[in-house]
Amino acid sequence: MDAEGLESFRDFVDSRSSALLRTAVLLSGGDRHAGEDLLQNALAKAAGRWHRIEEPEAYVRQVLYRQQISRWRLKWRRREVSVAEPPEPGADPDGSSAADLRLVMRAALSRLTARQRTVLVLRYFEDLPEADVARILGCSVGTVRSTTHRSLARLRSLAPELAALGPADVEQPPSRDFSPVEVRP
Amino acid sequence: MNVDELVRDSLREQAAGQTPAAPGLADRVLGLRRRRRTRRLVSMAAAAAAVVAVSVAVPMLDSGGTRDVRPADVTEPNRTSAHPDQSPPRDLIAAGRTALAAYYGTVPVAQSKEMAVATRTYWLLNPVTKKYVKTTKWSWVAVAPGLETAAVLEQNLPASRIGLLDMASGEVKRWIKVDHTVGGLAFSRDGRELVATTYSENPDLRPIPKKLKGGGEVTVETRSHRTGFYVIDVASGKARWSQVDAGGGPGSLDMINTRQDFAFSRDGSLIWSGMPMDPGYQYYDRDGTEVGPPADAKYLRWYVDAGLSPDGSLLAGDFAGEKYKTSSWILDPGTGNKITETHGQQLLAWAGDDSLVAWDIGKDGNEYHQRLVLVTLDSDKVVPLSDFRSTKDDTLGRWEPVFADR
Repeated sequence: MDAEGLESFRDFVDSRSSALLRTAVLLSGGDRHAGEDLLQNALAKAAGRWHRIEEPEAYVRQVLYRQQISRWRLKWRRREVSVAEPPEPGADPDGSSAADLRLVMRAALSRLTARQRTVLVLRYFEDLPEADVARILGCSVGTVRSTTHRSLARLRSLAPELAALGPADVEQPPSRDFSPVEVRP
Repeated sequence: MNVDELVRDSLREQAAGQTPAAPGLADRVLGLRRRRRTRRLVSMAAAAAAVVAVSVAVPMLDSGGTRDVRPADVTEPNRTSAHPDQSPPRDLIAAGRTALAAYYGTVPVAQSKEMAVATRTYWLLNPVTKKYVKTTKWSWVAVAPGLETAAVLEQNLPASRIGLLDMASGEVKRWIKVDHTVGGLAFSRDGRELVATTYSENPDLRPIPKKLKGGGEVTVETRSHRTGFYVIDVASGKARWSQVDAGGGPGSLDMINTRQDFAFSRDGSLIWSGMPMDPGYQYYDRDGTEVGPPADAKYLRWYVDAGLSPDGSLLAGDFAGEKYKTSSWILDPGTGNKITETHGQQLLAWAGDDSLVAWDIGKDGNEYHQRLVLVTLDSDKVVPLSDFRSTKDDTLGRWEPVFADR
């Protein structure tokens, strides 16, 4: 990377790293250290081809999402997930206040598979339509839809407090998904 | 409030609560890249001058960039080693944390007109050359995590001694003698203990089906000769035997198969074996007393080899075949609820917390024509790891894998 490239890379990281880190931490199930690792790897990849990248933020985000769902290649250490409050807060006996529910939800999100969590982050944090999520993750819209549906169902099954919530406003997946199967040698 | 609204609110709250990234991240990333480049150069030099380069490589690694505090296993991933043109495999097959440590083919050897012994020929991984080496010495091989040591039994089961084999040299380094003869072995997850299943007769003795004139075939009745298990401390060789009935009385066919070996529970505190009858398993304490299953093992199936995921949050389940022609369920270990359906006809070993090695079929649709593949949960990506094995039973071409953590 030449001097001009170094300067623009530093500018980009300085201005966007906090926003990117927020996404990386969400993708890592709330684990700050894992999120920092994830972002550091994605930025290192971007630095390697900096002069060829036209939209750095879109590129880094795509690397974040795809890197996260291929985590087996990185063999992450399992870390404890820190939450601000204990998982079963005692202040509200019925555990149903909005703040309590959000805490329960955070704990449940950390227990999803990486791909399930990534799809939910893209759909509900980044507010992306299903077609964009499919393009970013390199899968069919049907897969995004069925994964979203299964992920929300899994969240409801993880905690009794969430089971009482109404169903999501998503289309129900077809009983059989006929989306094409991708086989890459 | 709907569940999707709560997901949105929770994610936003969690994101808003994050403190900004620490200053100097750009320089840390650039330093990381410099070190990676140095590492690549070092490995190229090592290839050219193997022994000498290693001794200078270590100081070189610390020569550039700022501090990288991440664990080594993050920067040096366990790469996938696939050989989709090989069956049986000749070179290392591995993905993530797991490796094909050995494989075997089984051929029946007649002992009489009525009975034959299912005799295994093994191919064991040499961890140095990363190639599989054929051997007919052993009737049973269990490979310890790390791929350096295997526990072996000689031919002609049941055996009265257990060998501890150095996988690199192929030599038995130590023998452990036992009073109760052994037919099967399994390591604990940490590799420090062995559970040895004891049998009074060869558990691989099988009846030879006799063809009837009018069509069909009949086999003589067989029964289990399982007697119990040893728990053996590998380092000291100290062994403790516990008697366990074969099931519904001595030698009852009703309860277990002729070979139905014991294994450790995930945390090593209990011993269990599968059963053809519901609930499909029986757990014992280390004294051989029947106990209930651990909370995360209620829905375990003894014939689904992958079992619990490395982090314990998911359980590999039975064949599904709903969304895809060949697929399997991934279950919640605590409730048995289906979490997702994944590619893979038969789940064999977890490569990571969301990826597995499985048998799967090819385009010909033949359910017996299978190859090893790597599948990722909630993904349609299927990576072939080996070529297809033979469809013919009782041949060496229909090999069975033995996986171990690397």
